[in-house]
Amino acid sequence: MKMLVTFEKAFRLRMIGHLDLMRAMQRALRRSDLPIRYSQGFNPHILLTFAAPLSLGHTGLREVMEVPVEGECNPDFFKARLQRALPPEIQLVSVRAVDDTHKSPMALLYAARYRADLEEVPDALRTALPAFLAQGEITAVKKTKTGEKTVDLKPMIHECSLNGNAMYLTLDLREESSCKPELLLRTLSDFAGVPLPRFTCTRLMLFAMRDLALIPLEDA
Amino acid sequence: MNEQQEAVFERLLEQVQKPARYTGGEMNTDVKPWEEAEVRFAFGFPDTYDIAMSHLGIKILYHIINRLPWGLCERVFTPWPDMGDGMRREGLPLFSLESRHPVRDFDIVGFTLQYEMSYTNILEMLDLAGIPAYARDRGEDDPLIVAGGPCAYNPEPLAPFVDAYMIGDGEDVMIQLCSAVREHKKAGTSKEALLKALAGIHGVYVPRFYDVSYHADGTIAAMTPNDACAPEKVERCVVTDLNGADYPETIPVPYTDVVFDRIVLEIMRGCTRGCRFCQAGMIYRPVRERSLERLIEIADRLEASTGYEEISLSSLSTGDYSCLPELIQSLMDRYQEKRVSISLPSMRIDNIVKQSLEMTQRVKKSGLTLAPEAGTQRLRDVINKGVTEDDLIRSVTDAFECGWSTVKLYFMMGLPTETDDDLRGIGDLAAKVTQAYYRTPKEKRGKGLRVTCSASVFVPKPFTPFQWAAQDTLDMVEEKQQRLREYLKIKNVVFNWHEGHLSFLEACISRGDRRIGDVIYTAWKKGCRFDGWNEHFRFDLWMEAFRECGLDPAFYAYRERPYDEINPWDIIDAGVTKEYLIRECEKAKAEKTTQDCRKGCNGCGLQRWKGVCACYENARHV
Repeated sequence: MKMLVTFEKAFRLRMIGHLDLMRAMQRALRRSDLPIRYSQGFNPHILLTFAAPLSLGHTGLREVMEVPVEGECNPDFFKARLQRALPPEIQLVSVRAVDDTHKSPMALLYAARYRADLEEVPDALRTALPAFLAQGEITAVKKTKTGEKTVDLKPMIHECSLNGNAMYLTLDLREESSCKPELLLRTLSDFAGVPLPRFTCTRLMLFAMRDLALIPLEDA
Repeated sequence: MNEQQEAVFERLLEQVQKPARYTGGEMNTDVKPWEEAEVRFAFGFPDTYDIAMSHLGIKILYHIINRLPWGLCERVFTPWPDMGDGMRREGLPLFSLESRHPVRDFDIVGFTLQYEMSYTNILEMLDLAGIPAYARDRGEDDPLIVAGGPCAYNPEPLAPFVDAYMIGDGEDVMIQLCSAVREHKKAGTSKEALLKALAGIHGVYVPRFYDVSYHADGTIAAMTPNDACAPEKVERCVVTDLNGADYPETIPVPYTDVVFDRIVLEIMRGCTRGCRFCQAGMIYRPVRERSLERLIEIADRLEASTGYEEISLSSLSTGDYSCLPELIQSLMDRYQEKRVSISLPSMRIDNIVKQSLEMTQRVKKSGLTLAPEAGTQRLRDVINKGVTEDDLIRSVTDAFECGWSTVKLYFMMGLPTETDDDLRGIGDLAAKVTQAYYRTPKEKRGKGLRVTCSASVFVPKPFTPFQWAAQDTLDMVEEKQQRLREYLKIKNVVFNWHEGHLSFLEACISRGDRRIGDVIYTAWKKGCRFDGWNEHFRFDLWMEAFRECGLDPAFYAYRERPYDEINPWDIIDAGVTKEYLIRECEKAKAEKTTQDCRKGCNGCGLQRWKGVCACYENARHV
């Protein structure tokens, strides 16, 4: 059996990197005394997969991870036990039990929704937004390991709206097509001819795609 | 921290290296309510988070203070220069990790003194906190500044800055000190009155109640109490029953990488071996063991509360623990299913049990570190390192047969009476270790032999038989390092050596007097901090500081001191007596060894603690 665990990573932990968070989660699982599974090999470790690493500096409200367990395990029991073993800055949102054959959340992940809280929104940026989105192609320069690559962001954007100083973004997040909020905001600022405003980012939720609609990843 | 400071802080976090050093919120660091606490203690470790969180003492005392219903303890470490500079630029005061309260709002700020080269970091922390460095400049509203730890055995170099020192084991005296502060706060008495009360606590040294006068040659003429509250000598604290001593059942679990990220089980305190260069071996006497049952109880609770995957057995000489194989076996049986590995640092060459090696490697194999310290039997006798070449070769052979192929050997250079033969001896030993590897059958030994030889520079330390010794000059050190490099040009052997400059300064400060405080302050003013970190060590600035203060570093490091000179640390009664240290120093000169005191009492002075001292008890039975 596998547990699909949805959790919040609080603002205070935003500077804790992905690998550190994973280790913290593994230690919490050890503390919880739940029937977790270990990898084979000389240095066995707890089996655990995050759907998507959260960028350093980001808060996450509904992060998803998959925890394989031995035998059967009641999700409510699992949630209560694991929550007790976690620091207050990591709160569990939901736990769902699925078969071992269930597709991993990493494979199901399609997109993510973010809120970027901008310290200030220059008028030029606010005014430029409709025109920016109305372009037939939104060209951006993406830095990759091998160099720079020009991509079209247009098909990756599911939502991009400004509400006060908060920008809500739903963007593709899968291997073949992904756009980070930083890239979109940088491209938008360049388009508007203003420097990139300072912002903090919260990942609100992760999505899978079913019947051409985005559904919460933990429900997929 | 107010909202505006929070915003500044969050912005700084995005600009600095390793921001997780500053964010707190780790497992088992639950914040106690600030308003309800009667005594608030900021526990300062003058180094980075990664170093500080690897230290056992802070975890013990953190637990002890937080267990007091009226006490609160939070942690504060030295911000790395990028953060420190940022905080200064933005006017952000030093704050605690847990509740992010400004450090100057605490009642007590305590520092643990683990090594001399962290002293400038204390001044850096006080400055960032907005607390005047010099005790004389602090007022009634400033926190009480206290210190403890091994380097506090010579309290004088930091005497101008510290209000009160706790000398020796901290478990009990810490509670007494906090209680005194609590009563003082309730009664609303002056700081002067508090300090007088503190000076009356056993094991507490309050520097301002002592006057120091000097001879024309710079040596100390007298150190005398200037107030009736101050004892002639401050006797260190000894926790007599380690089983009864408080030990944390939960410890903070860092998110980010720290040097020792595991459960540390202190299996015993003290060492009976009597190596003559070793300060720890002298000041942590007598040997006190924790029982097997108590250790398993502690391990169980810590394993359950931390989720750590490794338990490390800690003490000055783990192999001397009387039921080591039983302990390892019980721990391994207990935690096999949970995949917890057991590690054994600081093993001595002569007692590494092959069985222990085999047992620990079943779970996880780490490198093997051995410390012969000197290259010849003659010099090992001088320093009373009771190991022989046969011991060493037998140990490494055992290890090679168990599949090890990486061995680290620690040596010291510049030990008293050292000659070229002793340096050559280091090369010979290393060669013999490689030969032992090749003698081991191929199917047994691991692949890829690697012998790492490290040679540190000897630093004479207070309360050791070598406390009167002269350190080698920097020129001598450099020349010896050259020779050692030649002697260690051996296949599969790597030689590591350290710059002599840091050891030279360490020697100046560790045996320094009260005047050294001004040098430390001047060096810090010039920009010195994180001196123990290569990239920040500025020897030139330190030398300028000595010049400006009119003090000669050679006076402190290079001079062989006569037995009748008053040492700055003579104000402390560390347990070992001067008579014993002189006796040991003379035996060293005569190349005579002293037996392990478990085999019979050597009269070091600890026999005064009747019933605590294992050697005293044994000596009666012999």
